[in-house]
Amino acid sequence: MRKLKTLVAAAVAATLLAGCGGASTPPASTGEASGATAGGSGDTLVVYTNSNGEGRGDWLAAKAAEAGFKIEIVGAGGADATNKLIAEKNNPIADVAFGLNNMYFSQIKKEGALEAYHPAWAGDVDKGLGDGETYWPLVKQAILLGYNSDKIAKDAAPKDWTDLWTKDEFKSRYERVTGMGTATAQLVFAGILSRYRDNSGDLGISDDGWKQVQQYFKNGSPAVAKTDLFARIASGDVDMGQMPSSIIADREKSFKVNVDTVMPSVGVPLAVEQIALVKGTKKKEQAQKFIDWFGSAEVQAEFAQKFNSMPVNKGAQAKANPGVVDFFAGLKQQDIDWDFVQKNMGAWVEKIELEYMT
Amino acid sequence: MSGNNTVRSMASSPLVLVVGAVLTWFIAAFLVWPNVNILMATFFPDGSFSGRAAEKLFSSQRAMKALGNSFLLAVALSITVNLVGVFIVLVTHYFRIRGSRILFLGYASTFIYGGIVLAAGYKFIYGEKGIVTSLLVRLVPGMDAGWFSGFFAVLVVMTFATTTNHMLFVANALKGIDYQTIEAARNLGASPWTVLRRIVLPMLKPTLFAVTILSFLTGLGALSAPQVLGGRDFQTITPMILTFTNSPTSRDLAALLAVILGVATMLMLAVMSRVEKGGTYFSVSKVSSELQKQDITNPVANVAVHAVAYLFFAVYTLPVVLIVFYSFADGAAIQTGQLSLANLTLDNYVRVLTQQSGLRPFIVSVVYSALAAVIAVGGLLFVARLLHKHKNWVASAFEYLLHIPWILPSALLALGLIVSYDHPSPLVGGAVLTGTLVILLIAFVTVKIPFTLRMLKASFASVNSSFEEAAAIMGAKTLYVFRRILLPLVLPAAAAITALNFNSLLDDYDTAIFLAHPLVQPLGLVIKANTDGAEGTEGIANTFVYTVLLMVITGVTMYLVYGRAGRRRTRKRKPAPPPLSQLPGPALPRDQAPGEDDATRPATAVR
Repeated sequence: MRKLKTLVAAAVAATLLAGCGGASTPPASTGEASGATAGGSGDTLVVYTNSNGEGRGDWLAAKAAEAGFKIEIVGAGGADATNKLIAEKNNPIADVAFGLNNMYFSQIKKEGALEAYHPAWAGDVDKGLGDGETYWPLVKQAILLGYNSDKIAKDAAPKDWTDLWTKDEFKSRYERVTGMGTATAQLVFAGILSRYRDNSGDLGISDDGWKQVQQYFKNGSPAVAKTDLFARIASGDVDMGQMPSSIIADREKSFKVNVDTVMPSVGVPLAVEQIALVKGTKKKEQAQKFIDWFGSAEVQAEFAQKFNSMPVNKGAQAKANPGVVDFFAGLKQQDIDWDFVQKNMGAWVEKIELEYMT
Repeated sequence: MSGNNTVRSMASSPLVLVVGAVLTWFIAAFLVWPNVNILMATFFPDGSFSGRAAEKLFSSQRAMKALGNSFLLAVALSITVNLVGVFIVLVTHYFRIRGSRILFLGYASTFIYGGIVLAAGYKFIYGEKGIVTSLLVRLVPGMDAGWFSGFFAVLVVMTFATTTNHMLFVANALKGIDYQTIEAARNLGASPWTVLRRIVLPMLKPTLFAVTILSFLTGLGALSAPQVLGGRDFQTITPMILTFTNSPTSRDLAALLAVILGVATMLMLAVMSRVEKGGTYFSVSKVSSELQKQDITNPVANVAVHAVAYLFFAVYTLPVVLIVFYSFADGAAIQTGQLSLANLTLDNYVRVLTQQSGLRPFIVSVVYSALAAVIAVGGLLFVARLLHKHKNWVASAFEYLLHIPWILPSALLALGLIVSYDHPSPLVGGAVLTGTLVILLIAFVTVKIPFTLRMLKASFASVNSSFEEAAAIMGAKTLYVFRRILLPLVLPAAAAITALNFNSLLDDYDTAIFLAHPLVQPLGLVIKANTDGAEGTEGIANTFVYTVLLMVITGVTMYLVYGRAGRRRTRKRKPAPPPLSQLPGPALPRDQAPGEDDATRPATAVR
């Protein structure tokens, strides 16, 4: 009887014991982890990123190891990584965060979870792309409107986003988002709404601006879960939609379609992926060294070659994929007041989700 | 038994007091405090309450419609899942049907997969370019190729996808029915239909009540089926809750929506408890005997039941077969629906399994899930027994508190744990829990509490109390009765619950993303990294590969749990048909908490 009592009590209280022990046995049996204590992570740098997919995480970890950095990458979506960094600010677990765009980083900075740092390569990048203080730019990404160029000739193609819902031939032929949770969708709307800034309007946007949003949702073909836009273009479901520049080449090949992109006269929004030091890190020196290494011309060039990205570091651009560099050279960047966008994006997303999405 | 219904009688047992104290601490520290913290931060951002969230939500047409759809689905599912679920249980366990073992395997396919991949599987078959649709369009010219969408499609898919709990728990309860009562009724001239309606179904009631609550909850939390098949007209509220949870400025809306769904669930629970109360759900003969399969005497009915049973079999198995096939195809073929045998390769599997992280995340997830599953069931066995035995206000209060994890989305539960335990807290002996290995385990245990408690309580309710009384009369003490009489009787259900808990935690992302130790990352995070982002070509193929890999793990789990339990039982009582043992690799339903209808939930990220 006593045995059972102990058993029941032990089962219920197991979590307590483990919690007090602190150094409870890690529930992983492979070698690597055994050296780490539960409370910290030894000399391993913990790196949060949303840019670990498609083999980038593995590549980075291997390269960093060659350079003498022991890193552990924790991958999470942009919004998740942001929320996690903010929630952990009193007792941070991460040492470095990278890959998030300026909108996410400015949110984290506002919550006081970033530490100022001036990387060794700060002089090689355009300061205006980051905040010049806590987060620093690594990679540029253009948020584009792409269309099926096998079907639509260049002169018959839309000239701007607004054509999609104002010209009858494009109605129902473009894919529209079904949720505002992704960075790409938010940047598309940052680009559209910024043009209708009106301080007396609702959330800083004129009525005309909100009408555009309404029309966008009313006339678009809703995205289909787990079916890529390129798959829908290939099957003739739709002819156009939003796409970040870095994925185009690869998807064209996979789905055997050709896509051309629209260059509106106001320019296109750029998403800039950044890197930053986490406030309160216990491995500050090591983390700073890692930032210096990762953002350097040499490493960024290798990264760009491997993953077709557009590096911000001027020294790296020379060695990046020439096609990518040329594309960005011919690109007009839309002039967006990011402070204004960052202040309002949360409320815009909410309004769009509640009022305009059907 | 009336003595059991007062608080005083309950408090007179020292054992109950000890369990009560531990339980009170656990509830206070891990269910109430973290969630109060996060809800306060959400609803009172500057220390004062604002009605903003309610105002915004109630004036949004889309939110109200989606909320209405979720409720409609919840109510409809509570009915349809019971109809289909009871039918397949009777066909496999009660009536004499040809090939019932094969049928069982087909129906058990929901054990091993769910979520977005399941919905995709149905779409491959009945969707616009689906196999069955192309066939039908050829047969019936002028038929609408898009017939399988909207409420109807979502309801059909979710009905067939969520009969897991019936197959496990209702079937288990059915096996516990005393055959002598059935024989007696038949000797008195009752028709098979009357026996079924007046004898069999009433004894299944406690379990049916419990699984009905789960179906209701599944409907409320529906996510992937509406996204894939709902079309413009039938979208549910969960995607919106997820988007708002992720946005700090809109989190109050997410919390309010979650609370609305939570309150509805609690109401459902209260209604069910009321209905359940006072009933006797076991047979009273003194020498019970094994259930024997019944013939359907009416030949027309017999043919009809056989036909429907095999039709269902086809509905259940086709998607699984296709998913396994598609996991060998390349991502572009999966999305455009152009599958040819020549294109099937092992590339997807090689890519997924040769990552740097290798098998490590699988091991981490297996260990975490197993610990959490065992702790939840082990810890709650005695608690469920006490809550079933003592029906007073203290017991009810505990019971409702233990359902808190059903109310909030798991991301909010995780954030609550972080903000509550990122500094030394007296509630946990002054320890800091963030950044430790144990915090994820705590979260895993807590999210599994409501489901575990419901099912355990239901299984205690179907235990014949005369065993217990007899033992007590002969002088057995409470614990002895519990250990030697009750425990063996509820053990099959407890094993099933443990296996289900284990399976559903394996690919968890929502909790792990916030709480996992950076050096000990579970599978869900790896799956997310490999399947998320734009639904490109590799991502979608990886989703299918992980689904199949999880099918294998959970299949093995169910075999280990059930195969062995079955064998042992067969040995003990020879004539009995081995209950669940005939399924070789049945497994892993994912029990459904709000918003968790998804095997590969991470991959569903709203675009």
